[in-house]
Amino acid sequence: MNRPGAGTRSSLSSFFRNVLTINRRNVCYTLTANERRLYPIVDCKLLTKKTLAPHKIPMPETYCEITNIFEARHVWETEEHDEFVVKPARGSQGHGIMIITGREGDSWRTVNGEVLSQQDFEYYLYNILSGLYSLGGMDDKVYLEYLVKPHPLFKPVSYRGIPDIRVVLYQGIPVMSMLRLPTKRSRGKANLHQGAVGAGIELLTGKTSGGVCGNSVIDLHPDTRQPIAGIVIPFWEQIIGYAMKVADIIELGYFGIDFVIDVERGPLMLELNARPGLAIQIANRRGLRSRLEYVDSLKIKTRPDFDQRREMMGRL
Amino acid sequence: MSHHNRIRSTNITVYLLATILFLLTAGLIFARFYWGGNTVQMEDGLKLWRVTTVIDLKGNGDRARVRFTLPSNTNRQKIYNEIAHNSDMVFYTRDRESTGNRIGFWNSEFLEGPRTIKYFFSVQPKALKYPLPPTMRLPSNPLNYYPEELHKWLKPSRKIQSNNSEVRRILAKVRGFNRDLLTVNRKLFEFVRDEVAYRTEIGSKDTLATIEELSADCGGQARLFVALSRAAGIPSRLVGGIILKDEIKKETHVWAENYLNGQWIPFDVVNGYYAEVPAHYLELYRADYSLIAYSGMERLSWFFAIRPERIPPIDQAWSLYVLPLHFQSLVQTMLLIPIGILVVSFMRIVIGVKTFGTFTPVLIALGLRQVTLWPGLLMLLGIVLFGWLFRCVLDRLKMLIIPRLSIVITLVIMFIIGMMMLGFHLGQLNFMYVSLFPIIIITWIIERFSISQIEDGFFSAVKDLFGTVFVSVAAYYVLEIPFLRSLLFSFPETLLAVIAAQLILGRYTWMRVLELFRFGALYFRDQPPVGGEA
Repeated sequence: MNRPGAGTRSSLSSFFRNVLTINRRNVCYTLTANERRLYPIVDCKLLTKKTLAPHKIPMPETYCEITNIFEARHVWETEEHDEFVVKPARGSQGHGIMIITGREGDSWRTVNGEVLSQQDFEYYLYNILSGLYSLGGMDDKVYLEYLVKPHPLFKPVSYRGIPDIRVVLYQGIPVMSMLRLPTKRSRGKANLHQGAVGAGIELLTGKTSGGVCGNSVIDLHPDTRQPIAGIVIPFWEQIIGYAMKVADIIELGYFGIDFVIDVERGPLMLELNARPGLAIQIANRRGLRSRLEYVDSLKIKTRPDFDQRREMMGRL
Repeated sequence: MSHHNRIRSTNITVYLLATILFLLTAGLIFARFYWGGNTVQMEDGLKLWRVTTVIDLKGNGDRARVRFTLPSNTNRQKIYNEIAHNSDMVFYTRDRESTGNRIGFWNSEFLEGPRTIKYFFSVQPKALKYPLPPTMRLPSNPLNYYPEELHKWLKPSRKIQSNNSEVRRILAKVRGFNRDLLTVNRKLFEFVRDEVAYRTEIGSKDTLATIEELSADCGGQARLFVALSRAAGIPSRLVGGIILKDEIKKETHVWAENYLNGQWIPFDVVNGYYAEVPAHYLELYRADYSLIAYSGMERLSWFFAIRPERIPPIDQAWSLYVLPLHFQSLVQTMLLIPIGILVVSFMRIVIGVKTFGTFTPVLIALGLRQVTLWPGLLMLLGIVLFGWLFRCVLDRLKMLIIPRLSIVITLVIMFIIGMMMLGFHLGQLNFMYVSLFPIIIITWIIERFSISQIEDGFFSAVKDLFGTVFVSVAAYYVLEIPFLRSLLFSFPETLLAVIAAQLILGRYTWMRVLELFRFGALYFRDQPPVGGEA
């Protein structure tokens, strides 16, 4: 069998053969394996949710959608939930997400302790609607969503915010995964480039290995000083199952899928990403390229059933 | 088809296409060399010349202006491959109706420091002997006899004092009782040729000084001949030009033309050419005109570098050299834009430098070419810092995005005008060039910088700003290579090679140089084999 990336030498050539670079991801995977027509479904989170809703993929409940600025006042006056997340439908890299954790008199309080007046809130929505955070600066929509209550298991290793789980799939097979933990530096967001911690997850067991924060390899969470490795992700089998199911509904060849684990509702799918970042390799301390080339070498014609895929995943 | 094969076949198509484009470029360039000058034959005994006029000047911060006569096509000379390097001065040409002269002007509202203007052309002149027309009597009242437009060639001018009594005395002596046009013309020619000694001198003499000393260079001698001819009632004028020889020189040559029975016929008293022009004479202007004039600068010097043309002139219909001179620099700048974008592509895809926007660095680089590098960068960073500070203040006012952007643009414009005013009052006129930066692009940089600062922190925003500046400077240095400009202008088909290069960059899958740092940690990790036990 063709085994690209075989060999454990930490030589320069094995380094280059193992690491997936931006250029290669774009040319060989996102441009080749992903059909352009599917991008709008992935890029707009509201559309993703609508597409996946009939397929019983658990997702956080959408409270309301805002398309026009005049709706903002209405939302401010009628929104009955005290806790929710405000998201731009077409945002990327976690930009423009705001977490509201409660009321304080006439104002709303964010997860970072800021107090938001009605004026602040409307200004914020207006920026989103006029495309400040959207891909390509196009007009955007805003939606309010159920605020996930993170599983207590993650409490020792996260600073505010909600940890999430990223699974990257190629040809319907999960090829790499990581747990992203918010830090003080990331201001409660779970994005690696904003300073969140990334920890690799072993695909078969769902157990975290060591982590990375910025460019340095770490074993303890920088704020809570708790070990990151050895956490077994709850509902791991379910998460992998949902991921493969989503891959079959939205037929992208190469994409990332984000989950959160809610203390009451279990695993919830948050969003898809057709151009998943490459930092997952650093969090796992493994290159992605050899794994993708291995999947290529299997020459899959029609996607095998879930059990066969799990078995293939195990060989990575 | 499997994924791997699909990538391979796409790669093969792309590389094939790129190869075809490279070959096409080479072929087109070769074709220009091989068939380029087909319509200009090297006629027997005729030479093609390449003349480079180099004008060195030094401004002292004033409004400066240079005027230089440019050659025109005539029945005995043809001009090819004209091109001007204007050193960022404003260049235009004007045709003078009364003389048929073509004048080039280089202007600058503010000229500081040394500049070099270069003006190139190729010329194929030929020798021409004029058959003398049938003779006639000299008209007794030439102003009545000749049409209005010839009157200026009959009347005295500043250095050609044809109504002076001394001139009339010599005319009477030389002419005697002859009233025959050709005879009188011949006698005047022989008088100046034989009686006035040739002496090189600095500055040309007028007619009276020539008569007084009976020695002069070509200018004085030609003026005396023209003055005598006019006094005799023959329309007469000076012709200025260059004697073409394989050398570098400053000297020009002056001869005369007389209007004999319906046509202008050349006479060179100094070198004894009667009704003929030799092949190595290049005509530049008519009338008693100075070749070059200038104002508003500390000094100016010029010279001509003349050499036989080895490559035949490119005079096909599809050569850019056929464009009018003053549009050529516009086309030159346009041709540079794809090269600038190629630099940006390379920096982003191969090196991995992040920039604010894809085309921002190219527009900044074009701006820097006008403003020059260091002052330009300082101004740019100054404007961005200023704009960003105000953008921070505006952020507190919770404004809608479009009015907010509009205010930033307005503030940038105000800042730029303010800097110009400040520069004027401080006597720092190079501040004026700040106005040449693309204002909308700078506003966009400010917006992107601010968002990046809010979202990812100040350090990240500064990093991307410096990435943008770095790529702009790289593009600036590439665009400043003079060879590149000449190459693109002579062979615009080079742009096909640029497309080919972009095609190859479009399928570049290797690691970006800066990714080495990002993924460096993975290098020290053992990578277990993939696809192990089944």
